[in-house]
Amino acid sequence: MAYGIRLHVWGQHALFTRPELKVERVSYDVMTPSAARGVLEAVHWKPAIRWEIDRIHVLEPIRFQSIRRNEVGHKAPAGTIKRAMNRGDLEGVQLLVDEDRQQRASTVLVAPRYVIEAHFTLTARADVSDSEGKHLDIFNRRAARGQCFHQPCLGTREFAAHFELIEPGAALPARNPAAETADLGFGTPRDLGYMLWDIDHAAPGRPSLLFRAGLRDGVMEVPAPGSPEVKR
Amino acid sequence: MSLLAALTRAYDRLPDAPPYGFSTEKIGFCVVLETDGRVAEVIDLRGDDKKRSPRMLLVPQAVKRTAGIAPNFLWDKSAYVLGVTAGEGKRTAEEHAKFREKHLDWLADTTDPGLLALCRFLESWDPASFAAPQWQDEARDQNLVFRLSGEFTFLHDRPAARTLWREIGAEGASDPQICLVTCTPGPVARLHPSIKGVWGAQSSGASLISFNLDAFTSYGHDQGDNAPVSEAAAFAYTTALNRFLEKDSGHRIQIGDASTVFWADAPDDAAEEAENLFSAFFDPAGDEKLAAAKIKDKLDAIRSGTRLTEVAPNLAQGVRFHVLGLAPNAARLSVRFYWTSDFGTLTAHYQRYLQDTEVQPPPRDGWPPLWRYLIELAVQGKRENVPPLIAGEWMRAILTGAPYPLTLLSTTLMRLRADGEVSPLRAAILKSILIRNFKSKEAPVALDPANTNKGYMLGRLFAVYEEVQRAALGGNVNATIKDKFYGAASATPQKVYRTLDAGAQNHFSKLRKQSPGRAVNLEKLLTAITDLMEPGNDPYPASLTAAEQALFGLGYYHQRSDFFRKHDDKTPEVTE
Repeated sequence: MAYGIRLHVWGQHALFTRPELKVERVSYDVMTPSAARGVLEAVHWKPAIRWEIDRIHVLEPIRFQSIRRNEVGHKAPAGTIKRAMNRGDLEGVQLLVDEDRQQRASTVLVAPRYVIEAHFTLTARADVSDSEGKHLDIFNRRAARGQCFHQPCLGTREFAAHFELIEPGAALPARNPAAETADLGFGTPRDLGYMLWDIDHAAPGRPSLLFRAGLRDGVMEVPAPGSPEVKR
Repeated sequence: MSLLAALTRAYDRLPDAPPYGFSTEKIGFCVVLETDGRVAEVIDLRGDDKKRSPRMLLVPQAVKRTAGIAPNFLWDKSAYVLGVTAGEGKRTAEEHAKFREKHLDWLADTTDPGLLALCRFLESWDPASFAAPQWQDEARDQNLVFRLSGEFTFLHDRPAARTLWREIGAEGASDPQICLVTCTPGPVARLHPSIKGVWGAQSSGASLISFNLDAFTSYGHDQGDNAPVSEAAAFAYTTALNRFLEKDSGHRIQIGDASTVFWADAPDDAAEEAENLFSAFFDPAGDEKLAAAKIKDKLDAIRSGTRLTEVAPNLAQGVRFHVLGLAPNAARLSVRFYWTSDFGTLTAHYQRYLQDTEVQPPPRDGWPPLWRYLIELAVQGKRENVPPLIAGEWMRAILTGAPYPLTLLSTTLMRLRADGEVSPLRAAILKSILIRNFKSKEAPVALDPANTNKGYMLGRLFAVYEEVQRAALGGNVNATIKDKFYGAASATPQKVYRTLDAGAQNHFSKLRKQSPGRAVNLEKLLTAITDLMEPGNDPYPASLTAAEQALFGLGYYHQRSDFFRKHDDKTPEVTE
């Protein structure tokens, strides 16, 4: 993988929400490819490049915890805000928390740690000034310094991700020996069922794309875009 | 495998699963129609038992009714079918009108004599003609089905009705999309069928998958499109889950506020045995029930720590086991825990849980079910006061063999401070947390006179002070030092131990006059404990950590039960 990068990410908690259980949120067992893409895009992204996740290494045991939080039941409607902007005053744009409270439970992952292996391809929007070497250098430089456009997160915004570039040629960070169980696919591969690969934002209706996820020796292989493994 | 996929698979294994598009409902009466739509007779389908429970019949699946008016196909309650209810029923007329309108619409092109009879009936029916002797008053608010006079099949079972239902059933679904359970394209369920039987949820059922507020939706999707699940998969998982949640299904136990269902993926005999064993692990049934399931010996062997490969080799390999805890949250259901692995792992974790909770002397009735432990955490010992989340978190930790939630420790300590009742169950909880979370080697099973942990020694000391008081003043003291000082002594010993010591001296001086031997014995015990303390190491610290407080409780429990045990030993001597 000529333009491949590897990024070590970790955090206190993570919540990679399953679409079917997203009201009372329950996390997937492993980081989803789209969440990994989000982390990389927080460090470096331009319209000229598109990140493609190759595989995700799971370095810690999969552990869950339930938390309960107060949230609101509605979004602030874009139309109301737009009207308020045109009108020039703030009448009616507020969302009153105590009148619209929703208590929701989340089942989140505890102390996750992953290595994301990925590469990027140039898109149709790349022009003569874009080259793969340039973007690779930018990413490596920024990631090594810890720079990011916004704080990357593990699934949802409240679970911030720490990250560290693994230099080309350097060894992967060591896996927690306690994680080397059947749970992570050591011994026999573990089937994780169908997982969200990404959302096709270009297609009408923004459908979900799925793939059959599995863990083999702690590694989840992610199919390439357009491959038959990605179901739409 | 994901939860929904596992449930869909479980549906395929159900012995008498209703086919797609049908559900089993409680039906009270059958209306027999002549071909011209007149009512020939009304048959009572209910059972002969005291409650006259309705018969369970396979009917076209019930529609999901929330606020709107929506009739079922070829069956419904009397308000819809006849426009008749027992109560006031503000919208009864509307409901009946809708039923009529919808059915005349659905059945417009039919040529089947049975369905035509229903059309004639609906056109001519007047709610006012609901009267005895033909119509019994008890038929009000029951579910009704139809039959053609002289035939034995219900209208909804006629082939023409079934064909029609297949067409109607697909109406509500949205465009075909890829299903996230089966990964095949199909019509997506807009609203998922309700899940009934979760403790504390609405009796009409609640939804596991629903998007009832716009904060729950994404990318402009509407309802079920937020999580594309095909109609078939939605039907399969809800049917399986509803079946498991039924009372006495052999697939459910209640753990705190979490209604827990479990099932095994295995050949039938092994699956049933594994399920029976699991339910006996956490909610011990009576001996007869265990004998009926032929698992008593195996259960005893597992509890005594024998490995599953020796007890039941057929279960140790290849039996995949699923445990799902559901609890209501508003009108929704929330997954408290979902655990899946093989039964051997589960048994090993259960044995570890037993080992961790072992205390001497044990609770009176051997293997207390998990809910007995949970009640110890509830205010006033009421089941509904069990703090939410703890039950699920604890159960998850037991199943996965992970550390226990620390809220378990803080809640137990809080209850102890509040009422000072150090029961065997609470001592067991404290000990298991010390072992699992603090890797404590100082948490002994039985009284350990050589243990020099501050918390443990202070707990023992406190028990001795209490015993001195009891020996001096008898058992009828209004507020013992335990009632007054347990909370303070376990959390901030420095504040109270001097007072306790001073009080004990008074009790001793009284006791010496009454029974000098007992006074000497107790004094010896007291010095034996204080001798373990090192003056340089501050025997009465200003405060104890949570872990030390747990050891305090354990030390107190051990020392105090020791008094009772000795007391028991002595009684025979006296009677001789």
